[in-house]
Amino acid sequence: MEREALQAAVCELDSTVSPLDANADRAAVIVEASALPAIVRRLRDQPQFAFAQLLDHVAVDWIDRGQFELIYQLYSFKHKHFLSVSVFVPREDPRVPTLCRVHPVAEWQEREVYDLFGVLYDDHPDLRRLFLEDDWVGFPLRKDYQDDFMLDRPR
Amino acid sequence: MGIVTDKLPGALEKVPGGNVLVTRFDEIINWARASSLWPLTFGTSCCAIEMLMATGGPRHDLARFGAEVARPSPRQADLLILAGTIVKRMAPRLRTLYEQMAEPRYVIATGACTISGGPFIYHSYTTVRGADEIIPVDVYVPGCPPRPEQLFHGLLTLQKMIKEGETIREPGVRRKPVISALPEGITLEDIQGEMKELLVKENVVDVQHAVDKLKWPSGLNESSSGDSGANERGAGDGA
Repeated sequence: MEREALQAAVCELDSTVSPLDANADRAAVIVEASALPAIVRRLRDQPQFAFAQLLDHVAVDWIDRGQFELIYQLYSFKHKHFLSVSVFVPREDPRVPTLCRVHPVAEWQEREVYDLFGVLYDDHPDLRRLFLEDDWVGFPLRKDYQDDFMLDRPR
Repeated sequence: MGIVTDKLPGALEKVPGGNVLVTRFDEIINWARASSLWPLTFGTSCCAIEMLMATGGPRHDLARFGAEVARPSPRQADLLILAGTIVKRMAPRLRTLYEQMAEPRYVIATGACTISGGPFIYHSYTTVRGADEIIPVDVYVPGCPPRPEQLFHGLLTLQKMIKEGETIREPGVRRKPVISALPEGITLEDIQGEMKELLVKENVVDVQHAVDKLKWPSGLNESSSGDSGANERGAGDGA
């Protein structure tokens, strides 16, 4: 499907899905956190979408808005189309349901985001740090992260 | 023997049946060490691809300088070419690798990240600011990444250092580390022009040049005839 048609079709799935207005070359939607696993499961199972692969899962720290944006990149082998699913969670209490039951590959991708951003995934089977040491304090890709090792740029 | 006397300070005495070379033992040892450096295959980021692997390939060919035997084990290597960012988790492993290498061991640090942390020096939670915080470094090769020619320059600098360096009376005492930058006056335009010229030359097949290469060089006959004439004259003088 073309970008606009795909975005419109995904938005008709449920009332918790709304279009993301971004100047991107792939369709992008916003999904409410609580509805995420169900929506992604339907995107995977319905034959007109057939998003069988979770390509990537990243997070963006919008510190001015006090939000984390969690982005899931989906890809369909059958139709060769992409979809970017965004979920906004508050920075104070970043919680989102896990996608492990829908896409098993999400387990390690979510561990990575937990490791660097500290986003908590409800019902995750093994939420440990992936890259950093187990005794690391803090989440270094947050914009307000500081530690003793870090140097500030002199002004 | 002629090659050795070019590189080794010493006295060459002619005796019947050949020559006797008189030199110091340190010179022989340092010459042997400098001429056969075995680098450890160690690359942690982009410098390893852009510079280290490029020099190992046939285009630039590290073998010309006697340092092509890259070993996958530190116990068989004596040169550590640091190519890439050193992060906190890599630092203990790097120290272990360095200590597993046999003495005498040499270290070349290449690229901005390895020398100082480079672009990751500020606001980084993990990049070590300079590999010399972990292990001693002999030669620094700046660049981001350095060109393969710069690594050659660094290698030749290291060879020069080794030849001037240690003695068997004081093993391990060396000259201070040096920075091996390319000589002044070479600009980006020079390198780009050279690259462009090479690319054009390699993409255009010059048939006449190929034919000329197949022909016998014309100067050879003249010089051989001149030699024979000298021999005749010499023979005539003797008679």
